[in-house]
Amino acid sequence: MSRTVDDRVADVRRLIGAARSVYANRARIAPQVARCTGLTPEGVALGFESLEREASDADLRALIARSGVADCVHAILSANVFVSAMRALVIARATADRVTIHPSRRDPVLAIALVEAAADPAIVVQPERDVASVTGGEIHVYGRDATIAAVRALAQPGVTVRGHGTGLGVAIVTNAADLAQAADLLAADVVPFDQRGCLSPRVALVEGDAARAWSFAQALDECLRGWGRRVPRGALLDDEPGEAMRWRDTMAFAGRVWASDHHAVALGAVGAPLLVPPAGRHLYVAPQPNWDGVASCLTPVARFVVAVGTDDPARVREIAPDNARVSRLGLMQRPPLDGPVDRRS
Amino acid sequence: MSAWSESEALHERVRAMIRAYERRARSPESFDAIAADLARFQAANVPGYGRLCAAHGVEPSKIDLARQAPAVPTDAFRLADVFAFDPSAATATFRTSGTTLGARGVHRIRDVGTYDAASIAFGRAMLVPDLARPAAVLVVGPSPADVQDSSLAHMCGLFARTFAEPQREEDTFFVRGGAPDIAGLRKRVAGLSPSSPAIVLATSFALVHVVDALQGEVLALPSRSRVMQTGGFKGRSREVDRDELEAATARTFAIDRRSVVGEYGMTELSSQFWEAPPTSEDETRSYFEPPWARVVAVDGRTLEPLADGEVGIARIEDLANVDSAFAVVTQDRVRRRGAGFELLGRVPGSLPRGCSIALEEMLAAPRDGE
Repeated sequence: MSRTVDDRVADVRRLIGAARSVYANRARIAPQVARCTGLTPEGVALGFESLEREASDADLRALIARSGVADCVHAILSANVFVSAMRALVIARATADRVTIHPSRRDPVLAIALVEAAADPAIVVQPERDVASVTGGEIHVYGRDATIAAVRALAQPGVTVRGHGTGLGVAIVTNAADLAQAADLLAADVVPFDQRGCLSPRVALVEGDAARAWSFAQALDECLRGWGRRVPRGALLDDEPGEAMRWRDTMAFAGRVWASDHHAVALGAVGAPLLVPPAGRHLYVAPQPNWDGVASCLTPVARFVVAVGTDDPARVREIAPDNARVSRLGLMQRPPLDGPVDRRS
Repeated sequence: MSAWSESEALHERVRAMIRAYERRARSPESFDAIAADLARFQAANVPGYGRLCAAHGVEPSKIDLARQAPAVPTDAFRLADVFAFDPSAATATFRTSGTTLGARGVHRIRDVGTYDAASIAFGRAMLVPDLARPAAVLVVGPSPADVQDSSLAHMCGLFARTFAEPQREEDTFFVRGGAPDIAGLRKRVAGLSPSSPAIVLATSFALVHVVDALQGEVLALPSRSRVMQTGGFKGRSREVDRDELEAATARTFAIDRRSVVGEYGMTELSSQFWEAPPTSEDETRSYFEPPWARVVAVDGRTLEPLADGEVGIARIEDLANVDSAFAVVTQDRVRRRGAGFELLGRVPGSLPRGCSIALEEMLAAPRDGE
């Protein structure tokens, strides 16, 4: 509790140094990461590029300002994005003098590697999740909404639970955008982690008529085909194959689908409701004849939106959901280290 | 032949099958023969279905068996018009309840006569096989006039008109001002003739409301009465175990538990499925299909049929869906058990929907469809 802001920045910088070290030696753990995540080796290599290895002082001070202050933090990590352990560690350490980390059972590799590389006595890996034994401070829980609810139910009185639940990314392509360039950049946001993160775009709202959206969907299909050759999609996990088939069949019925073994792009009808696809490099392209349509289309999904990528951030900020991160297309997976990626909570 | 004439002919073939069932006679033609012609008709006249067949590499003219026809995901009813004609040709339009993302599915019916014939024939066989003419049908739900887009309200109204003596609307439908009309129900039950059995139709959550509101009070129905319960068990007020609700319902209406009969229906279908009461305490309850519909447990990843006893998602082939989609794939989990099937709830993670939730919403707000 006695740490100054500078102390906290220094503690976080030690973790960033650890991340650089893990990144430099990533070949050692990459096969384990691939086994745990289902990503292909190329997918793991791409994912490592999103590991935060740099941060400005201004970003870190913003992160600390957004963090609470506690004696201790118990962080419960999720498995969807293997590099997300880094930001969770950083936020926990910025918050507290003592940190216990419970890595995801399915994907513990990077969290353990970071803790080992940091060699910070204030950070301890705790293999068992024992929420009821946490008697003070904060619990940071990352994962499904049901997991967060379960943790809240078990947490003792006086313990603050900060939940980071399910969310998605949305792309907005304005009528001024160069379609080929926008498609190229959006594909680069879709492919990392096979679209399993809450920053990953699942929906693209294209301002303009149906023909413009059709052109964009075709361009996006071409770009994702290229990515599929360079970075093949990994295995779909658990319920993902069934959900993907259902979504593709629904969109084949209700619109138009372009697909390969590594991705699918679906074009909906003008004004049709959004059918958010499952993870696995699936994009729903929704034509919106005007800006009002773009704004109203966001409304039903607003509470799920963590990130918005666009060719015109200034214009989009006016309609983006509160707390959603707004960035240029191509940068959706690289938010500055200035707080949680998910600002909704 | 025009699409209209073709549709008329298909309706007549399905109705002939239903009539044969009512007469306990052999069906004039096979399920697959009608299914194959429905697949061709729908591929030609429902644009989305033609695209779905193409996406699966299926040539409609080469379909001989129902199982060869791709199934339409029920989500498609929320995104597109699943109808072979202009919407103005519909004589009934049913809507699903709203979902997390706001959109409601729409099922248009061109000739509601086939829907009604299917509902009555199998409903009579499964719900009231031993009752020539029950004294009354009591619906703990809104009337079809109040919610014209609810397939559940339509079916309940149909049963009230068909299985019972004509009654005033206020003596049949017991939801008033968005809440169960407990006082009205109490008065109506008290006035029933002890010698004439009655039928109560309700969703699971309507029954929860009734049981909770009565706080142990018994509304004794005449002997041989029964209660239809439809819909799931998850909702916003409280979750109730199936067995618990069935027992509470039986206690509340002073009937045997085996007289509480489950019904499984969907807005996207024209036929319903009914539970047969178990013959012993240990027997698992199963739902059954009429001869013009099939429920197939399929692998969620491949949509391939599964063996008896394996849990899959429900692919439903309903020949009475003449002008929409005769084959649909749902997000409900089922397990075949010989001639029947068990209903095992929704696929985890799928959008919440269903008539029980809809009634729950209706009780607090304007009524949704089934």
